[in-house]
Amino acid sequence: MSWAASPAPVSGGAGAGQDPRRPGPRGAGLARRARSASSLASVIGAAVIWLALLGPVITLLTHLSWHQLVTALKIPGALDPVVTSLASGGVTLAVLLLLATPLARMLARGTLPFPRVWEAGVLLSLLLPPLVIGLLLVFMVGPYTAIGQLIGHIHLTATNTFLALVIAEVYESAPYYVVGAQAAFAAIDPRLEQQAELLGDRPRRAFRRVTLPLAAPGLAMALAVAWARAMGAFGAVVIIAYHPYGIPMQIFTTLQETGLPTALPYALVLLVVALPLPLAAYIWSARAGRRRRG
Amino acid sequence: MLDADVEVDRRDFAVRVAVSVAPGERLALFGPSGAGKTTLLEAVAGLVTPRRARIVLGGRVLTSIGLPAEIGPPAATTPPAVTVPPWQRRVGLLRQDPGLFPHLSVQANLRYSRTASRDPAELRRLAGTLGLGGLLTAMPARLSGGQAHRVALGRLLLARCDALLLDEPFTGLDAGLRRSLTELVVGLVTERGIPAVLVAHELPDAQAFATRLAIIDQGGLLQDGPPDQVVLRPASRRVAELVGYRGFVPVQPQGAAVAASADPAGGAVAAIHPERIAPGAHPDRGIVLTGTLTGGRPVGAGWEADLLVSAAEVTCRLDSRPAAPDGQLVVTALDPPCFWPDGSALAGPEPGPGAAWPVQVSA
Repeated sequence: MSWAASPAPVSGGAGAGQDPRRPGPRGAGLARRARSASSLASVIGAAVIWLALLGPVITLLTHLSWHQLVTALKIPGALDPVVTSLASGGVTLAVLLLLATPLARMLARGTLPFPRVWEAGVLLSLLLPPLVIGLLLVFMVGPYTAIGQLIGHIHLTATNTFLALVIAEVYESAPYYVVGAQAAFAAIDPRLEQQAELLGDRPRRAFRRVTLPLAAPGLAMALAVAWARAMGAFGAVVIIAYHPYGIPMQIFTTLQETGLPTALPYALVLLVVALPLPLAAYIWSARAGRRRRG
Repeated sequence: MLDADVEVDRRDFAVRVAVSVAPGERLALFGPSGAGKTTLLEAVAGLVTPRRARIVLGGRVLTSIGLPAEIGPPAATTPPAVTVPPWQRRVGLLRQDPGLFPHLSVQANLRYSRTASRDPAELRRLAGTLGLGGLLTAMPARLSGGQAHRVALGRLLLARCDALLLDEPFTGLDAGLRRSLTELVVGLVTERGIPAVLVAHELPDAQAFATRLAIIDQGGLLQDGPPDQVVLRPASRRVAELVGYRGFVPVQPQGAAVAASADPAGGAVAAIHPERIAPGAHPDRGIVLTGTLTGGRPVGAGWEADLLVSAAEVTCRLDSRPAAPDGQLVVTALDPPCFWPDGSALAGPEPGPGAAWPVQVSA
């Protein structure tokens, strides 16, 4: 995005004038031309990948008529998956904030014993394909397992329930949040926290007044990524939480029952429902950065 | 009053230093990088855990670890260890990085401490003293290096810390700014009457600040005293090297100096400081050096000449490039300290009026 934000460097001219090692006038012309050619190539490359990434969204908008959308959403209970997705996503985010934030902080500060082992664990969960996670979760929290029976004692079931949906979404989103939040905490100079303590703050208070506000933009971005993963969670969900339908499951079943065109309206719904939070996080953290620069 | 008797284990060597700083006194810890100066400050601030320490600030015991009861019969039990956490020490630490909170305005940074004065008049007065009057609403990212340091200093002062620790705070700022910031700190420390400790690895910085100079090397305290005394009468050859003596010329003590010395076998050296040189021979003011010019270079407004005296290399600062057609130069090292081969100082040679200096260069 930076090429779009700063107008000057695209031509390469501004940089060439300041380079102390620049060759003679003829060499300078060649070098400048080579540089502007390579920067032109990178601009074209950036535009190509940007358009390619947006391609599906453009396709969705061109293949969907207002009439189709209204008809699909007028079916009784059509908006139930939206509620289910929003609720399970919200619970997932709360779980991540409460449980994964401390883990990310300790990983960033290296305060855990055997920090490499802890990091490897997070990485492993990041690399597991969601479908495989779903399969393994059946063997882990299914009704006939030890954990399943434990959950059964409090009259809950971890398959095909709202709880199962939340579990699947947590598994699919947590590693992304931990990695992002860890980077946000690692970017803070520990001497700032030390300074806050020397100025009279207990560690918890220093965390609240210094660490958290400084990490907040990065945490918001990590949370936005986790939210997108949770809203789109499918691989693990289709195995252990077929019911109740969230939006991805609704898209999948509609596709199977009535075909591609009828599934498209739900795809748009998913975008509309999932986008505001990441967008807000992005805008907010950009604004926080601007405020900090004065 | 700050009393610190600290022993900290480090990977390379243990730091064992005891210093005591009176209210309003300014102590400079001077020594090479990695000598343990910062470790001592961090122990006082409670940021490192010493193996053994007793740190008392204004009657409050901040750290007491591994020390037997001082008076009375040998205690059957060692007294319980005391370690006051950093947030209860009221010790201000200023480092090279001013450590302003980037998400808070200058004003919020100044008022960060919960014990900071809420009186807007005091904030305005301090901001005026520090030259920050128009910057209270600015964010730290907008400040210059000198301004950021003044905010950090103001934050410590507004927090009413009981001691000020400065860890090479102005390194990297230009000389004029460094001087004015040092003067500012000196004035504020005197006004508040709190003990202040500066860590420096440049002697001029230490001298500009301190009323007392402590030389630290390899984790130990080598010498402690008024700055000019430490510089002019180093207690050992190592101290002389650290405070800038750069030539060591073999000398022969004569008469009274031999009687006063512990090791009449000889092998003593005179330490020559480049800046304590007078051109020409002045046998009543110090040791006359006759040497061969081997090189030279302009330094500031003067000239630095390299001289070979009795196989020892000596550097001397002169006011201009010497005219020495035969390559020989005669200078006088003014009242130089002398050391035995073991590094200990020769008992100070006291020349009689008009008499020749009691120490001469060995033949």
